[in-house]
Amino acid sequence: MQTERIKLTYDALVIGGGIAGGEAALNLANNGYKVLVVEKSLSVGGKMIMLSKVFPTLDCSACITTPKVSEISRHPNIKIFTESDIESIEKLGEHNFVAKVTRRPRYVVEEDCTACQLCEEACPVIVKDQFQYGLVGRKAAYIPFSICSPKVAAIDIDNCTLCGACEKVCPPGCIDFTMKAKQYEISVKTAIVATGFELFDPSTVKRYSYQEGKNVITSMQMERLLAPTRPFHTILRPSDGKVPDKIAYVLCAGSRDDSMGNPICSQICCMYSIKQAQLLMGALPMADITIYYIDIRAFGKGYDEFYEQAVSMGVRLVKGKIGKISEKENGNLVLRYEDVSTGKLKEAEHDFVVLSVGAKPNEEPQSLFKTQKLELDNLKYVKQSDPLLSPAKTTIEGVFVAGAATGPKDIPDSILSAGCASTEAISYLNS
Amino acid sequence: MKKKLGVYICACGGNISDYVDIEKVREAVKDEDCLVLAKTTMFACGDTNQKDMEQDIKENDLSGIVVASCSPKLHLTTFRGVSERAGLNKYNYVHANIREQGSWAHSDNKVGATEKAINLVKAAIAKARLAESLEPIIIESKRSVAVIGAGVAGMKAAISLARMKDEVYLIEREGKVGGHLSALEKISPEGTDGRELLARLEKEIAAEPNITLLTNAEVTGTSGNIGDFKVDVTIKGSQGEMVKQFVAGSILVATGFNSYTPAEGEFGYSNIKSVITLPEFKALISEGGKADADGTMRLYYNNREVQSIAYIYCVGSRQVKGENKYCSRYCCTAAIQSSLDVREKFPNVDNFHFTRGVRTYGKQELIYKESNDKGDVYIQFPDKKPPVVSEENGKVLVKAIDILSEKSESEVVADLLVLVTGMVPDSDTALGNLLKLPKGRDKFFNEIHPKLRPVETVIDGITIAGTCQGPKNVAESVNSALSAAAKSHSFVSLGELELEPIVAYVDNDTCNWCTACSDVCPFSAVSMIDHNGKAVAQINKSTCKGCGMCLPVCPSDSIELISFTNKEMESMIDVLAQ
Amino acid sequence: MSKRSAKILVFSTEKISDPAIDMAGLLKLHYPPEVFTIPVRCSSGIKPRWILRAFEKGFDGVFIAADGSDCSYGESCTEKTGHLVERVHEMMKSQNIEPSRLRMAAICSVCSESFVKQVKSFNELLLKQEIQ
Repeated sequence: MQTERIKLTYDALVIGGGIAGGEAALNLANNGYKVLVVEKSLSVGGKMIMLSKVFPTLDCSACITTPKVSEISRHPNIKIFTESDIESIEKLGEHNFVAKVTRRPRYVVEEDCTACQLCEEACPVIVKDQFQYGLVGRKAAYIPFSICSPKVAAIDIDNCTLCGACEKVCPPGCIDFTMKAKQYEISVKTAIVATGFELFDPSTVKRYSYQEGKNVITSMQMERLLAPTRPFHTILRPSDGKVPDKIAYVLCAGSRDDSMGNPICSQICCMYSIKQAQLLMGALPMADITIYYIDIRAFGKGYDEFYEQAVSMGVRLVKGKIGKISEKENGNLVLRYEDVSTGKLKEAEHDFVVLSVGAKPNEEPQSLFKTQKLELDNLKYVKQSDPLLSPAKTTIEGVFVAGAATGPKDIPDSILSAGCASTEAISYLNS
Repeated sequence: MKKKLGVYICACGGNISDYVDIEKVREAVKDEDCLVLAKTTMFACGDTNQKDMEQDIKENDLSGIVVASCSPKLHLTTFRGVSERAGLNKYNYVHANIREQGSWAHSDNKVGATEKAINLVKAAIAKARLAESLEPIIIESKRSVAVIGAGVAGMKAAISLARMKDEVYLIEREGKVGGHLSALEKISPEGTDGRELLARLEKEIAAEPNITLLTNAEVTGTSGNIGDFKVDVTIKGSQGEMVKQFVAGSILVATGFNSYTPAEGEFGYSNIKSVITLPEFKALISEGGKADADGTMRLYYNNREVQSIAYIYCVGSRQVKGENKYCSRYCCTAAIQSSLDVREKFPNVDNFHFTRGVRTYGKQELIYKESNDKGDVYIQFPDKKPPVVSEENGKVLVKAIDILSEKSESEVVADLLVLVTGMVPDSDTALGNLLKLPKGRDKFFNEIHPKLRPVETVIDGITIAGTCQGPKNVAESVNSALSAAAKSHSFVSLGELELEPIVAYVDNDTCNWCTACSDVCPFSAVSMIDHNGKAVAQINKSTCKGCGMCLPVCPSDSIELISFTNKEMESMIDVLAQ
Repeated sequence: MSKRSAKILVFSTEKISDPAIDMAGLLKLHYPPEVFTIPVRCSSGIKPRWILRAFEKGFDGVFIAADGSDCSYGESCTEKTGHLVERVHEMMKSQNIEPSRLRMAAICSVCSESFVKQVKSFNELLLKQEIQ
């Protein structure tokens, strides 16, 4: 099926609508440039919008993300395509790129949907909610999450039974099963890659018992449990809904370990674990929280002070690498570890275990560029052609990179690198 | 005409509603005079609520809104935007801070927090009843930026600003540019030579006609404001000093850091000869080598060969007793890089690292791994039990408890001890005082918000970049420099700026021109004019900054400040007193 | 909650002391909820009549969280705020209002702890006066 592509022109293409892409887009737009942001998922905001609170200020993440997201989505110089894929980007010359973009159908007319959620109520299909990292279910007709942007329903067509229940109840009648993908051809003068990072999948490491142990969750799942828009409004362990009182954090899950395919430090896990520990102490004052770590990397502004604060609040820190996690009949977990301070192998029982999963590269951007090669570094992150003096430059002139696409980064560093990428892009546009 | 007001009380996803009963607040205020609508919302700042507010304003023809949520420092512009999009003048929106000064401050007292929130919302309603539509003052913004400090951050910022077509004044107090860059022989991760980087930057600066580079130059005076700063620079030359003045629309501060200097006797520093700091060690690696007969390079310090080197980390950082509580971020990697360099150049050298946990975050982990693989020895001492250093037969004895080996006592006799010193704020505080830049607890310059506005300061138009904001490595400094450049550029790129119309004005009927107001005005915004044959004060709108210093000194109470008028202030006081 | 708190009006400044008071909240440094803050632009721009109005309407105390030497409008701020307080103290005496019910302290933008200490001790002083 070959349809005519809709042709559009912008100054800049930003690939990825997370916090780095959003910040870069805003910087460009505020200086008068027209920007298109292409986001593959249903909402902009990336991983940050899913977080509970952020270190070291403990601001709620939604409070910081939503105004940015809202500014991006309303800016007269910014256009956002969500649920969209870039098929290819070709460089025809300096200041001359053409991107082929597909907007997948969400089967809901975006302009007419009022997010009333009646379709959600009517839909009979229940599947795991990917936006809550599988902690709860959602319907096949659904609003992605409460603070998503655009706040518009979507039909999960792979799981939909086409029963038509949602269509019947939709007040503005905006559900349209005949909706087709739209194809675009976008001309731009520069591009910013802000494709972020992937989370390490702990089910690949058997000894973590991530799938067998019902009470072993990832740190991202814990973020959802702690978020203001959280699914349960309290902290419950999955196996029996009990409020946990002996929680363990396993740091470096998928980091600093060649055997797990990632030799580097993920840079964010120490701090978010310390943050979660502080939030848990607030939510569950009676719970004991232990963090098993190799080294605590509290390196940023105010981070070490934040770490000391956690220690003074009573978070227990044990220097030791976790070997095996095994589940007991009652759902509790036994952690085997080498206690570095005594050199002895030890075991400890916890009723809830959080794996502080690390960052993995997102290799996708490489495949987007067709005429010139967007190189990756040895670790499969986007290669910086001049890492010290122009950290936002890639191996293609006129294509810049922002955020965690070049390596793990915390939010302040991602935002600074986005500022850097936008300055490079404006300089390029002026050259 | 009577105002029609709408009130929105935010739950902030529990941040407010866990402590303040927002439904009770709504009940308590909903019958206030002029109110046509009172709502609670999960996230006032959320997209959906913003849309709802716009619709409410239009549908109910509201002439003012009150938002009760977090501190106005976070979302003032958000809700002003809502007002404007709905066709309501943004100065008809009044904010009540019921989170930072409500639910959070009184999370120990839910009843009290709720009572206070009710009063704060009522006071905001009282102010909203009196609020007037205002038009912003438009000023011209000069398309030029003053960059202070020509280290790697300042130089990169200057080059980028010039490439974005801004005029740049790059001001360096030393005789040459580059800051600490020339002292970095090898920079991680690729062992790049800092002197090569510097040469590149110097060339790029020379090629930019938009950059005026001033060396031996110090900023000795500033006046004016965003869009129009007047900067005095004192330049020392062979013929004495001269003062140059220019105008800049924005100022970008990149004054860098100092290396921590250990106190006398701190780990033997300045008492034991073979104890040196990390920067001294870096210089030694490049200068202290001699080849022996068979061509092997050997390292010498004070004419004695160095075969074993001990390193003590976190000197001047993460102090348990001292004032520097922060981690200096760059030093773990810098020290390990130097230890690898020294091994590479002098193969017979052994390294012993006394750390408090190695912080080679991110990709820097690879050099820590390399160091381990090459056989460097790592000892981790407890935070509160630092190593003890003494002199022994011209060598240095380092004793520490090692938590990596069952807390056993570990001893190393080394030919050289390197104190891995961190970063401290620039000791020259004159510029910070001159520009009135706030500092954080770590004494580095402080940004407004680490995520929302990471390179801006509370002084409009002044940005901060590089290590003057906090410890950073080279790449991180450049990231922050270019980020600050983006922000400074946005202040000047459009040629004009909107200023808040919060200015003072005079009641001509009661003013008797006594000069009290013009005497106190720090901005010379008051002049005398003739009003129907009577001398009265007049306030220049574009120079008045709205500080209000003239208000209390007027003997006839003839001056009011827009949005802080007697009526507005006293109506709020009256409500809060209830 | 048995002990009554004094009712205190705080004049803070938008750029300097109000951020510190915000941060006190962020850090959950508690102080009595009968402490209300009105931010102004600069502490040397507070009119005496506003302060007197607060006493007249029932506030037990007024606390000026002054800019101190951090003021972005100029260094004269400290001195001017000082003069202002002196003047109001005189006015208070003539109206038989105990001058110690108006207090001033410089609160920098990170002086959260100092703010909380100040309002707490002020509160105690005001309560003590009430008993006498």
